[in-house]
Amino acid sequence: MSAAEGHRDWRDVVYPLALIGALLAGWEWAATHGYLRPIRFPPPSTLLASLVELVREGFPEGITLGTHFALTMQRILAGFALAVALAVPLGLAIGWYPLLDRLTESVIAFCRSVATLSLLPLAIVWFGTGEGSKVFLIGYGCFWVMLANTVAAVRQVDPLLVRAASTMDTGPAEMFVRVVLPAVLPRLFAGARIALGVGFMVIVGAEMIGTIHGLGALIMEARTFYRSDITVVGMIVIGGLGFAITAAMQRLERLLLPWQAPVDGAR
Amino acid sequence: MSTDARLAARYPMLGLLGALALLLAWELAARWLWRDPQVLPSPIQSIQAAARHLTLPEVAEHVGVSVARVVGGFVLAAVSGVALGIACGWYRPLSRLVRPLVELLRPIPPLAWIPMAIIWFGLGEPSKLFVIFLGAFFPIFTNAWRGMRSVPPVLLRAARTMDVDGLALLFRVGIPAAAPDITTGLRVGFGLAFGILVAAELIAAESGMGYLVMQSRQLGELGLAVFGIFLIGVVSLVADMALATGMRRLIRGRGTLS
Amino acid sequence: MPVNATAPPKIVVDRVAKHFPGDAADAPVLADLSMTIAENEFLVLLGRSGCGKTTLLNTIAGLERASSGTVHVDGAPVDRPGQGKGMVFQQGALFPWLTAAGNVAFAARKRLPDARARRARARELLELVGLGGAEDKYPSELSGGMQQRVAIARALALDPEILLMDEPFGALDELTRIEMQQELTRVWQARRKTVVFVTHSIWEGLMLADRIMVMAARPGRIVLERQIAIDRPRRRTDPELIACYEDIWRSLQ
Ligand SMILES: Nc1ncnc2c1ncn2[C@@H]1O[C@H](COP(=O)(O)OP(=O)(O)O)[C@@H](O)[C@H]1O
Ligand SMILES: [Mg+2]
Repeated sequence: MSAAEGHRDWRDVVYPLALIGALLAGWEWAATHGYLRPIRFPPPSTLLASLVELVREGFPEGITLGTHFALTMQRILAGFALAVALAVPLGLAIGWYPLLDRLTESVIAFCRSVATLSLLPLAIVWFGTGEGSKVFLIGYGCFWVMLANTVAAVRQVDPLLVRAASTMDTGPAEMFVRVVLPAVLPRLFAGARIALGVGFMVIVGAEMIGTIHGLGALIMEARTFYRSDITVVGMIVIGGLGFAITAAMQRLERLLLPWQAPVDGAR
Repeated sequence: MSTDARLAARYPMLGLLGALALLLAWELAARWLWRDPQVLPSPIQSIQAAARHLTLPEVAEHVGVSVARVVGGFVLAAVSGVALGIACGWYRPLSRLVRPLVELLRPIPPLAWIPMAIIWFGLGEPSKLFVIFLGAFFPIFTNAWRGMRSVPPVLLRAARTMDVDGLALLFRVGIPAAAPDITTGLRVGFGLAFGILVAAELIAAESGMGYLVMQSRQLGELGLAVFGIFLIGVVSLVADMALATGMRRLIRGRGTLS
Repeated sequence: MPVNATAPPKIVVDRVAKHFPGDAADAPVLADLSMTIAENEFLVLLGRSGCGKTTLLNTIAGLERASSGTVHVDGAPVDRPGQGKGMVFQQGALFPWLTAAGNVAFAARKRLPDARARRARARELLELVGLGGAEDKYPSELSGGMQQRVAIARALALDPEILLMDEPFGALDELTRIEMQQELTRVWQARRKTVVFVTHSIWEGLMLADRIMVMAARPGRIVLERQIAIDRPRRRTDPELIACYEDIWRSLQ
């Protein structure tokens, strides 16, 4: 990666900008001159107006973009935080004891391959149609990703480092706190990054069913009212939010783990 | 860590044992603890519920429809993602044009495209294929691109000293060297395709495993949902294994990995 | 040599054998291997790659258990690592999340509870191995040779009575290597430690050792033992050393 992104030259900035500018301009022109149907491809100027409308008046009437945004954000963070709080200690234990790992391996693999959104009917029975079921679904998706990555992180701790520490009179507790924990942190961060991505995917699906609040609901509702412009604005906001969260995580990671480049986790 | 090897050698079925123990605990708890199949039916109750509402051929049809959708969307994504990723990794100017667009679209979750997919393609199969395609495309493209970018330059130089260049260099050195990354991308993409399939079917479909799960709500039969959830899990697990095995064969057949 | 022949031995390796479970080869990695190492002695273990040097060193360190036979240090059987046995690993084995100084300070944490003293000690030791100014660098920012030198400083920070070194200069370039050999000799003469030093370089062994033991593979065993009673600093042109070189070279064929 670093080789590919190491040396930037002006073309890496100018070409993409020019291309995107040209695309936007072409899109605007084609839509206003009847070559693209605005309902299918709402032009940038309309999107801008819709954004203003969404922020000022909201959609449906009275529910502003800020409200949708805050709700979605709140659900993601609640589910993610719950998942991390449960998965990390559990994953550390499972990774540390080979027997536990063996016993749980297939269960974890299976639960990860269950599509989170298919749990929707169960979630509704258990937690109703309100916040509870959405937080549960996000939590479920994040939990298994986080758990699998935590277990893998512990399993991948370089045994040589543990040996080296043991030649320096490091007892079991100290070994865990001062060797194992720092050694697993990079992979935990990678897992958290992926878990957030999963949470993001789940929330959009979860909000598409049985609610009018949240960004997922916004884009779905707008379609039923033939307001594709609002749908597209909603998509852009969701994308922007996802991008911002990922960037913030990376920033945080570089700050907290200055000794190394980010590692890849597993989905 | 050697404890682990010993455990694996002595008790190869430990993983199965854990899963069976969990299922048994669930079965017993559902029968003696909460006792209400409308809270969480036991595994056996779920199968009975499924048997009440579905025949085996019907189940097979739901599975078949879903698998066909996944495979369709995945193949689209695999062909375009791998080709575009390799091309962008090989030709820098192309990468300058394509990558920013990809990076711009990537943060939008695939499910968020569903409304526009319906507007563009209607409620039928194409919109589902489109959403599944989108879900699988990004990891496939990125891994192929990254794989090509991280081919050790020394490998390319060594090949050049042996008079290999142009397309031969791409096909005989570049792509084989990037093959592990490309296969990783394909597997990740396939997993995502499955997750997205269900969502697409939950929201707008009259068949498929996701539809099966949603139908349970209308019928007020939670057992059917549990059955569907398990069906999805098993099918995606089996499909993933099949894909992994297939790709391992393919790569080994070409002799690119030791 | 300053080794006192009547003093009780520091390390006794008694008929140690080692085979790894699942190892397909029919000969064991180590077979019936015995040696006695005196206090303050500088012993060099020499042999080709794969002859069991690391395995033997790990067994002395208490990182690996012998399949049969025993290792005693100061008359007590070795059953775990630490306890005055410092080790420099072939691969460095630095903690990537600690800076160079942090790594060295970690080793000193039991001897020097005061953080400031520890920090000063780390700086001093890094200076000693020629890494003054690299205190705040992370291992990933150091070259292989620099990492190896941090590993040596870390082992010295432990101030162990026994220093076990597994090809510590393997990653260094020739010039640095010679400098480090001189440095190690100086430290050893000043601090008087018992050193077991593994290498596959004959000249390195000759420059450093009080005694050289040459190992052969499968089963790992001692095929030649040589006392090198030549004053330090040694010169490569010393005829006695050259004669030794010839003997060792022949024993390795
Ligand atoms: N953990 C292990 N499991 C199986 N065989 C091992 C293990 N460690 C070392 N060996 C084998 O023991 C022999 C000696 O290894 P080692 O002590 O590392 O040699 P050296 O350090 O002299 O190069 C080699 O043949 C190696 O393959
Ligand atoms: Mg070795």
